[in-house]
This record gives sequence, structure tokens and C-alpha cells, in this order.
Amino acid sequence: MGRIIHVDMDCFYAAIELRERPELEGLPVAVGGGSRGVLTTCNYVARTFGCRSAMPVFQAKRLCPDLVLLPVRFELYREESRIIRGIFHEFTDRVEPLSLDEAYLDVTGLRSEAFLIASEIRQRIRERTGLAASAGIGPNKFLAKLASDWRKPDGQFEIRPEEVEAFMPGLPVERLWGVGSRTAARLHALGVRTCGDLQRLGLVELDRQFGRFGSLLHEMCRGIDHRLVDPNRERKSVSSEETFAADLSRRETGLERLGLLLDEVASMCQAKHVDRVIREGFVKLKFSDFTQTTAQRPMPTVVREDFEALLKEAWDRGQGRAVRLIGAGVRFQSRNDAVDRETQLDLFGAGDPIL
Amino acid sequence: MKFQIDRDAFLAGLQQVQHVVSTRTTLPILSNVLIQATDGMLRLTTTDLDVGVSVSVKANVEEDGSTTLPARRLVTIIRELPSTEIQIDIDADNAASIRCGPSFFKILGLNSEEFPPPPDLEGAREFTIPQKLLKDSLKKTSYAISTDETRYVLNGINCSFKNNTLIMVATDGRRLAMVESEVEFPAGNEVDVIIPTKAVNELQRLLKEDGGDLRMRVTDNQVTFELNNSHLYSKRIEGNYPNYRQVIPGAPNHRINLEREVLLNAVHRVSLLASDKSNSVKLRFEEDQLQISANSPEIGEASETLAINYKGSPMSIAFNPEFTMAPLRNLDQDTVYLDLIDEMSPGVFKIDEPFLYVIMPMRVSH
Repeated sequence: MGRIIHVDMDCFYAAIELRERPELEGLPVAVGGGSRGVLTTCNYVARTFGCRSAMPVFQAKRLCPDLVLLPVRFELYREESRIIRGIFHEFTDRVEPLSLDEAYLDVTGLRSEAFLIASEIRQRIRERTGLAASAGIGPNKFLAKLASDWRKPDGQFEIRPEEVEAFMPGLPVERLWGVGSRTAARLHALGVRTCGDLQRLGLVELDRQFGRFGSLLHEMCRGIDHRLVDPNRERKSVSSEETFAADLSRRETGLERLGLLLDEVASMCQAKHVDRVIREGFVKLKFSDFTQTTAQRPMPTVVREDFEALLKEAWDRGQGRAVRLIGAGVRFQSRNDAVDRETQLDLFGAGDPIL
Repeated sequence: MKFQIDRDAFLAGLQQVQHVVSTRTTLPILSNVLIQATDGMLRLTTTDLDVGVSVSVKANVEEDGSTTLPARRLVTIIRELPSTEIQIDIDADNAASIRCGPSFFKILGLNSEEFPPPPDLEGAREFTIPQKLLKDSLKKTSYAISTDETRYVLNGINCSFKNNTLIMVATDGRRLAMVESEVEFPAGNEVDVIIPTKAVNELQRLLKEDGGDLRMRVTDNQVTFELNNSHLYSKRIEGNYPNYRQVIPGAPNHRINLEREVLLNAVHRVSLLASDKSNSVKLRFEEDQLQISANSPEIGEASETLAINYKGSPMSIAFNPEFTMAPLRNLDQDTVYLDLIDEMSPGVFKIDEPFLYVIMPMRVSH
């Protein structure tokens, strides 16, 4: 049985800024603004007012007129992240960073108990950076990540292998990876609200209802996850998507919804992946007949006009079909590619109709 | 349920279906093989919900019935049995008693009613295709299938039935293999279907060079094959395959005749000096010679020169060595043609049959 720790920094950027300016302690503080005009992240005080990352600044100010908005300082955050990763590697080399402020550690087979390792890691992070981290410990990545949310902020929680069976049934399905409001609504319609309800559905039935995702649901609701901690794994893309309650038939409505998705993508890139180089942007549409298409083109940052052009291009390919889902995102350059002296050219280039 | 069967025939049947057995441990019945006995035949079926295979083998059936037994375990037992005559009885609780000479095994099965049913083939389009043709076409294309799961429509072979022609295409976005063949079918049957990699692999196992025709059926979400007493069924990959026509280059500036094996061996040798960081081989064409070279800054370099017939102006182009060797390994013609435009445009390997392989070059900065 594996032992995985998920470490998640609490309000990473905001916490760093507060450390630099102790006079702001206790005030609602957000990092962000700039040309995009959205919050990159905010502290817990601001969250009590309803502020969230990716929220437009004007909206955040309306919810919390006293919000202190600070500009982002990526170099500083990157340096803190480097120190924290160094601490992880004092315990094991099986570290898989998910972003600047989050990582999985595989501590299977280490002599100390995982729970103690996690508290030692959090202790060292506090000593060397003055920042608070939360940790989750579990038999696999999925449960470790679930657990790290349990005692947030500045806490840790362990789900032991023998507790999984008792723990899962009470968990709302919304807590499962990939279950957004639309999937949740479909599950509710089937009478499924918790993982316990979900466990009563057979794999064949789930496969029929949800296709490939069905077998993932079947495993997740039992707390099963076969993914290994892979130190060489790197995130290839960041995206956000929305499935609509009623299919969209007007392109203008699509363009409006796209704007919200882009805010999310941009703030995820800024909040979590500022150390990565964006290679291209893409817009994915799923049509009412469940066919889908993706338009993409190279771009260095999240360029709104380019995304709008991609949406129009993809929309026209539908030839009048209504749209049930819009996705938008960016793909990153591989860290290896960045140093390569050679590039494999692509057959379909940037303007390919579906890829 | 009760039957006697020849060990080797049983084993051969089980081995044909065992690759599909699911590794998902959460639905135990998918680790089992469905065994149905009727009319002097055993039908063996496995599925992982995406792909299913079933084969029929002769048996002396004393009592009809069906059950499911753990597939991998059954194979290891049958393989080790001491003599060729096997007697199997299944009781009402799906426990199988296997007797063979002095050996006795009892293994516990699961009720066959829980085994997922085969797909509904109502309204399927049907095609009749010679096995040799399909086997040959899969060999010439399957190596180019993409393994990148984010480009899932490329995780299979696209079969396009149109104008009494079957065009099969595989690509990973960096190279593309295509075979065209004549196949007769009614005009109303025209269809495009993407066969997933797993089904392609299973099909290659089932196809026989000297087998007769096979029957392929296509429904809205399934594709099935019936051949040599076996059935293969698979989910189709949903989505539209990219427009591959647009990436096949027009008239080349150079056409070079090459001896396939000589080229394959030379690229292979030179590629020993390629590396993860520098994974390309350079092809430099000069009058009547081709120099193939590779170098890795921290390792060293290699080159080999072939005598060819080339009269054009000197040119160089770099390719991924694996992408260059893959078609050469899977063709059997003595001569291949390489069509080139310039160092940044795709090259095309051709033979004297309706086949082509488009390969994008690598841009190498100095």
C-alpha cells in the first residue's frame, strides 16, 4: 500500500505578500489586477467577503470595498517555490510538482510515518519561508489531495487505507475530480448525491451513462487511483470549460462565455504556472450531436482577440449546429523543448481543423 | 454444463482472447472469460468494455450451458495440464472441476448473466474484405498511430469507404501513413470509421495471411469484424479525423530511388549516435551520393555514404530516425522512392503500389 503526501501552500502569493508587509495582517488582501483586471489570488480574510481568484477586480471591490490590491511579483514567488521544492527533496526524490505551490510526494517505504513526515515538512517550510502549508496523506494521489483540503488552512489530515471504505460513502460526488455542476446534475437525476450512492451503480451502467469517464467514476468513488507519483511529469496544458444547461445557438453568446473561461485560464497560468512558457492557445467546441472540434494557434500569452478568432473559426465549422460545451486553454512548451536545438515540425501546423 | 476438449485447441482459443482481459480490478467479471457451450462448440469471449473478442473452438459438449472463469488463471492451468484430454464440469454455483489424467483443479467462476452483453448490430453497414489485404494494410499503417492521448482521434486508424475504395490512414501529426485499396460495396455504405489502437492490435493477432474474406460491420458507435470463427468488436473513436488530404504535398522537386534495406540499415547505424537531446539524422544529397549523419554534442558523431542516382542541386534535410525507419521496416518492396521539395517541407516515401508515407522534417538550429 502506497503512502502519498499532497502539500498545498495556503494562498501562496497573498501569503508571501503579507509576510513582506506585516502591517497588512488582518486586512483583506488580493494579488492581481494589471491589464487583465482580475484577481490572481486573495487571502482568507478577502475570501470571507466572497472574493475568489479569477474574479474581476471591480466585482471584488464591490463585495469588499476595503480590499487591498497588490501587484503580482512573479520572481519573488518563483524563488519561494524553489526553496519549498528543496525541502521536499530533503525527504524523497519522488516529488511531482503540480504547480508552483502544490506537489505530490511518494513516501512509501520511508522509515518515518507519513503523518510525521508531513508535519516536519510543514514545519521546515514555516521556518525557512514563514509561510503556511496544508498537507493531506493518503494511500494514493486522489485521496491525498482530498485530505489536504480537510484541515485547510495550516493543517493536515490523513486518510488511512483501512479508513477508505468508511470514509468514501459520505463524500458528496461534487468532491470528485471532473465532476462539475453539469455532471453533478446528471448524477443527482440518477439519485446519486454521495460516493456511497455512486458505489451502487455498476460499471456497465456508468460506462453507458458517462462513457470513458464512467470507469473513472467507478474507481474514484471507491477511493481507487492507480496513478503513480511521477517526478518527470509536467503539466502540458491548462484549460477551463463549461457545459451549458441549454445548447447555445448564437455565436455572440459563445463569445461572452468565452471571456469568463479566459479569465480563469489566465489566472490559473498566473497563479500556478508562471514558470512555464505558453506555446499555443486553443478553443474546443462540442456540438449538440456530440461531435467536437478544436481550433488552435501559436500565441505567447492569453491573447483575447486570438481566442475570439479561434472561437469564430471553430463555431463556423459547426455549420449551424448548436454548441453544448466551450473549452479554452493554453498548451505549454515542454521544459525540455525549451533547451533543444531542434524542433520536430508538425504536419498539420497550427490551423488544423480538429487537433 | 459439461464438456470434453482437446488441451491444445482449448489453449489456442484462450490465448486468442486473453489479451483483451481487463486489468481493471474493480469489476471482477471483466477478468473472466465467458464460456458458452452448445452444439459441439465452445464460444470463448472476453471484453474490457471498449474491445471484445470471441472465438469458437470444437468440443464434445455433453451438457449445454455458460459460465465465466478467471481468464489468466485458466490459461496457466490449461497450459500445464499433463495430457491432451480435458474434462470440465461446471456446477450450479459456477465452480469448474477440471480433470486431466491424474490432475484435478477446481476453480471458482462468476455467473455468466453478469457478463456485459455484445453490442447491438442493428442497421450495421457491412463490408467484405480479404484478410490478406487488411493484414497488409494494417502492417503498412499501424506504426504511425499516435499514442498521445490528448489527440484521441489519432489513437486509431481511420478507414474511409468511398467510391469502392478503402483508404486507411494513421498519423501522429508528425508523420502519416496511408494505404488505398479497391473494395466493393454498395454506394449507400460509404462511411468513415476510426478503429482504436487496441482493436487494431487484436485484429492483427486474429488475421491470417491465407485466411479468406472477413466481414466488417459498422454501426453508429461500434465496429466489428468476423473472421476465422472469431468475432472482434470495438467502440469506434468518436470525432472527426483531420483532413489528411491537405497535408499530402504536391509535386516534388526531387524524386530519389533508394534501396529499402540498404537505407534502413544505414539510418539504423547512424542513429546509434543520436540521443534524447539531439534526436535527428541528417540526409545530405549531392551528385550521385547520399550522406546520412548524426551528431550529439556530448557523445560524438556518425556518418555513412550511399551511392545513389541523384542529379539535382545539393540539399539537406533532417528527420527523426525512428520515423524514417518505421515504414522501411514494415514494407517488403526492394525499392522505395523518396520525394522531396525542400528542407522545411514534408518528404514522402512511396512504392509501386498505392501507399504513401508523409514525414515532417526536423528544424535543426546551429
